[in-house]
Amino acid sequence: MVVKCEDVWREISNYFEEDLDPALKLAMEEHFAQCAHCSSVRDGMRNVIGLYGDKAMFSLPAGFYPRLHDRLADQVEGRKISRRAWLVSVGVTGALAASAICAAALDRFVPRPLSEMSQPARRLPERLVAIVDGGKMFHAPGCPFMHGKYHMVTAQEAAREGYAPCTRCMRDALRSAGNVMPDFEGEESASGATVEE
Amino acid sequence: MRNRDSSDAAVAGVARSDPGHEHEAALIGRIQSGERELFYELIRPYERRVFAIAFTVLRNEQDAEDAAQDAFLKAFKYLGQFRSESRFSTWLIQVAINEARLRLRKSHLEIMRPIVDQENEDGTYTPRDFTDWREIPSEALERKEIRERLVAALGSLAQKYREVFVLRDVEHMSIEDTALALGISAGAVKTRHLRSRLMLRDLLSRGWEGIWTGNSQIPKGTKPWS
Repeated sequence: MVVKCEDVWREISNYFEEDLDPALKLAMEEHFAQCAHCSSVRDGMRNVIGLYGDKAMFSLPAGFYPRLHDRLADQVEGRKISRRAWLVSVGVTGALAASAICAAALDRFVPRPLSEMSQPARRLPERLVAIVDGGKMFHAPGCPFMHGKYHMVTAQEAAREGYAPCTRCMRDALRSAGNVMPDFEGEESASGATVEE
Repeated sequence: MRNRDSSDAAVAGVARSDPGHEHEAALIGRIQSGERELFYELIRPYERRVFAIAFTVLRNEQDAEDAAQDAFLKAFKYLGQFRSESRFSTWLIQVAINEARLRLRKSHLEIMRPIVDQENEDGTYTPRDFTDWREIPSEALERKEIRERLVAALGSLAQKYREVFVLRDVEHMSIEDTALALGISAGAVKTRHLRSRLMLRDLLSRGWEGIWTGNSQIPKGTKPWS
């Protein structure tokens, strides 16, 4: 059998795959011995196959596997992650609840009202107070800022009738009853003239 | 004359009788029944292959890694659709190729069509360079510039040739599996394979003779592998 160059080029790939009829293979080898061009094609193709067949040609980039694992984790380990997430969320919720209880106990989460109008209602002590006739305030008996004739009523009655507590003498009484009077200083200075009855 | 032509039925028969295939089929069954972590074991032998085929299509390492990850995710998601008549590896390569092609279409990289893409598949490819080649030792691949030139030469081929060449000569897949993975006939695989080898030979032959030396540290006139 005699083959031409075109036949060799057409079958050269099969030659390397050993996918040829033995007679054709022999004829090609005889052709190679005589044809420098076809020998060049054969040698070049052998090099191409050898070079590209090396695993080093397409090595994986560094860190490929961990990145792939991270990407797949949500899907593949979905159940595990949600169980873990559930445990974490339970823990976080418990911790938040505990801290909220502690904070409430310490009264740290109650915002401080900015104006006197937003203050909680004050409890007046269960005691008798003095109201000077013609005055607008009620006093603790013996208050040095009280002048003139006065009569005694309970503090609740005095407040109900519209009398205001004296900021000097009633301050300690209100404090001892657990009330806070943050703005009394200002009120006192603003109405200082009327305090001294 | 041809002893490697076979039908899909023969492929299926080979796949069923392969012990590796049976092991994979068992793994897939366990994954589907809830042992999902076994998916890592299933894909481990094919990680490099999936990356290689994605890189072949996309010609960019980062895009190839993203496409490979997407391919593995899809493989996990649609594992229930895998029919064990074919090899899992072939099915996985199909998924990877589709993913890479999709990504390529989205990125509009196909507008950079290589010159050799103009070849007519029906015609006969004629070798253009008859330079006398020496045998190149595989150690040459340790030289980064040579590896880069080989990748660049491969990247200059049309996609249809790159895909066949990589599956056949890099991943050593059979003609039948390559045909199945690419959705083409065994005859088309053989034709494209022959052409890709001849084209690469021509491209690299010119490189060996001096074009490569222009951008590298290799002294002009010497073969880069010597």
